[in-house]
Amino acid sequence: MKKYDAVIIGSGNGGLTAAAWLAKEGKKVVVLEQHNIPGGFATSFKRGRFEFEASLHELCGYGKTTGLGEVRDIFGKIGVEDKIEMCDVPAAFRVITMSDSDNIDVSMPFGVDAFIDKLEDYVPGSRPSVERLFKLADEIRRTTEFMGDLDSFGVDTVKEIINKHLNFVRVAGYSVDEVFNALEIPEKAQKVLKTYWSYLGERTDKIGFIHYISMVNSYLSLGAVVPKERSHGMSAVIAERIEELGGEIWYNSRVEKIIMYNGAAKGVVLSDGTSVYADHIIANCAPHKVFSTMLDKKDIPVSEVKKANAREFAGRGFSMFLGLNKSPEELGITDHSYFIYDTMDTVKQYDLMKKIETNNTQVTVCLNYADRTCSPEGTTLMYFTTLYNDNCWASVSPKRYFEMKRLVAEKLIDNFEKCTGAKIRDAIEEIEIATPMTYARYTGALQGCIYGYRANDWDGIVARIMMEATDEKIPGLRFAGGFGTQLLGYSSAITSGRNAAVKTLKDMED
Amino acid sequence: MKDKVIINSNAKDIAKFASLIPARTARFKKAPATPLPSTYAVNDTAEKLHPEVQKMVVKEVRDECADVKTYVLESCENKSLAFFRAGQYVSVSLKIGDSVLTRPYSLSSSPEEALGGIYTITVKRAQDGFASAYILDNWAVGTNVDVSAPDGTFYYEPLRDAETVVGIAGGSGITPFLSLAKAIADGTEKAKLVLLYGCRTENDIIFKAEFDKLAETCENITVVYVLSDSKAKGYAHGFVDAKLIGKYAPDKYSVFVCGPSAMYGFVSKELKKLDLPKKNIRFEMQAIAKPKEAADKEFDCVVVKRGEKVSIKCSGGEPILVALERAGIKAPSKCRCGECGYCRSKLVSGDVLIPEDSDGRRAADKRLGYIHPCCTYPKSDIEIKIF
Repeated sequence: MKKYDAVIIGSGNGGLTAAAWLAKEGKKVVVLEQHNIPGGFATSFKRGRFEFEASLHELCGYGKTTGLGEVRDIFGKIGVEDKIEMCDVPAAFRVITMSDSDNIDVSMPFGVDAFIDKLEDYVPGSRPSVERLFKLADEIRRTTEFMGDLDSFGVDTVKEIINKHLNFVRVAGYSVDEVFNALEIPEKAQKVLKTYWSYLGERTDKIGFIHYISMVNSYLSLGAVVPKERSHGMSAVIAERIEELGGEIWYNSRVEKIIMYNGAAKGVVLSDGTSVYADHIIANCAPHKVFSTMLDKKDIPVSEVKKANAREFAGRGFSMFLGLNKSPEELGITDHSYFIYDTMDTVKQYDLMKKIETNNTQVTVCLNYADRTCSPEGTTLMYFTTLYNDNCWASVSPKRYFEMKRLVAEKLIDNFEKCTGAKIRDAIEEIEIATPMTYARYTGALQGCIYGYRANDWDGIVARIMMEATDEKIPGLRFAGGFGTQLLGYSSAITSGRNAAVKTLKDMED
Repeated sequence: MKDKVIINSNAKDIAKFASLIPARTARFKKAPATPLPSTYAVNDTAEKLHPEVQKMVVKEVRDECADVKTYVLESCENKSLAFFRAGQYVSVSLKIGDSVLTRPYSLSSSPEEALGGIYTITVKRAQDGFASAYILDNWAVGTNVDVSAPDGTFYYEPLRDAETVVGIAGGSGITPFLSLAKAIADGTEKAKLVLLYGCRTENDIIFKAEFDKLAETCENITVVYVLSDSKAKGYAHGFVDAKLIGKYAPDKYSVFVCGPSAMYGFVSKELKKLDLPKKNIRFEMQAIAKPKEAADKEFDCVVVKRGEKVSIKCSGGEPILVALERAGIKAPSKCRCGECGYCRSKLVSGDVLIPEDSDGRRAADKRLGYIHPCCTYPKSDIEIKIF
């Protein structure tokens, strides 16, 4: 009988971080991964002479040279920081809208001051309100740091927050739109400031201001990085580290069931029938996945079923990967990351993203600007990502599947060429297209959702953090990854892994 | 003085914050307690497109020519098979004696036929071929076969390739082109195919009747048989060289090559003369030429799986994967050409040889000592960790 201190289901960013954290604390862990490589979405694949990044656009919260971000801090503590070479992303973004009414096209730099300067150039008169916004953002950062240091969230802490962090409190219940309007930020400046919204996948009238501005502030003040060997390099290094610390990783090992005893999780059964026992389980997947496939109905508290039923999946992923046989300069590509929207009205845009036919959103990366060696000299490596806010891809029949992939790919290429003037179509040497089904296939992600549960107005990050202590109800079972308290994204998943491990260590003491 | 940010009013703002927990709690409370769905639409469609295994049965066996047979496989469950792109392969699972192994075979049937529940593969007896001999000597109507979902990247992609594909096939490398030709004829693919099919003699041509018929009925398909060892009326003579390609190719074209490794060397040199961009040349992954170095030596190989160790013998002349399979160890594999990474394993100690052409490893894996055992040869005693 195999018995471990903890079993980690899934080797995504959250699972790997949790396992490495527990292993460094001397716990005997095993990571069970259904696929043959670590990482989940955090992976890479090769086509011809290109190695493509599967999902990471840019890693925030790192702070390679600009300050110690939380992710770098975690990587240092689990002993991988010096083993993963990171490249700086050169600038924040270029945002372009396709509708005439918005008419936005601007490249924005990293650095809060530089960003404010550029925005003042682009939207004269925006400076005072935007400066005020970023001062508020810094105050929020200090409050969240204070909250992050707390062990639990009692009445006393809420009182202290209300007493000492009043600005945080006054904005915490509001959406991005509500706060931007209250600060009287000019409309056009608001549009530029909302660019990153698709990184969280939630409309700006719903997403919590605190959540959004914290991300923006992190990007602008700390900058962003990408791992030199793609996110597979990151995942593989953490996986190695887990083994170095005495932990195990089993690939090709899909968990089918969680073993329950007296109402507590006690182990798992793999699809090949192997049982693995541990008193502590960390699931790096959606609670939906655990509750609908891995547990008997009788073992799931009604509260957990209701909780899951209350929530909606956020964006389902779609990506196109291009290896081009000319350099970015030859192709007319000037920026590292592009956000292209129909409109900066995020409510409208969100709805347009429900159908294959109407979705024109793209977030596109030319990786060469972060890492000149990411593809052979004289070539370019790009990836284009969009999200669907519905299961529209599921109803594409197999017979039409490849054609539909191609139609969307063509649309992404055409829109990119139209908006930027770059010419890429004739330079395609390698192309791969991933749909929600592709994400589902490789990671088991339900509905091909890559963005966790919606960051809805009632289910935002502040509420999740304050309720974290009561959010997980099954003894011995914790969650890590994009469906958790910190919500979606690489840095959030990594942080969630650390947090799941810390909670599990405490569970072990109790 | 500290800036005071007010959204509505101090009291309303604080009340809004204070309502976060009650509002979320209320949402959870009022949600239905109905059991969560047990199926999910996107995952169901993904499973149709990429099933883990497809249970099939041999429906028909056709003798093509000496030592070449075509197997028509049909779904045991009487359902559609996974759709695919013409040119892709399936990995066939085999148990031969104590060995468990896989072999990749390009599908020669059309994607459309898959929807009707049919795949066909064509097997040629390879020199010293373990699996091909087994299949040819044992498979018969009624034999049950497990095959993977189709996979591979050797397919026509209009966003990348020229409208005309000049297909260069040798021997049994013809199979993916039959699939492509059928897909063009039935409208699944909107491409033109100029097929230059190299064989030794007229008797070695596989699928001649099919191709003749396709070329006759579809204006987008041209087939030229190129015989190296005999001269006959209606056939080109010699090898598929730059001159022959120049004769049949239009101004713009992409070259797709599939055949034995000896042919690859020759065709590569000829293609250089044509000065085509890299993007216009695609080779189907190929079986790896055996390295001469240490080929006759036998080494000890310690295999670790889930913490348990076994020791097996491994020859310097065969990929580590083959040694694993011979020893009856269940090791994952799919393309067997270094490309797909399905067999990714960790080299714990020892020296190995990885032919450069078949090194499909990711950059980090190279640095961290991971190998693809399907195309990795031992040069010393080794220890590997498999998954």
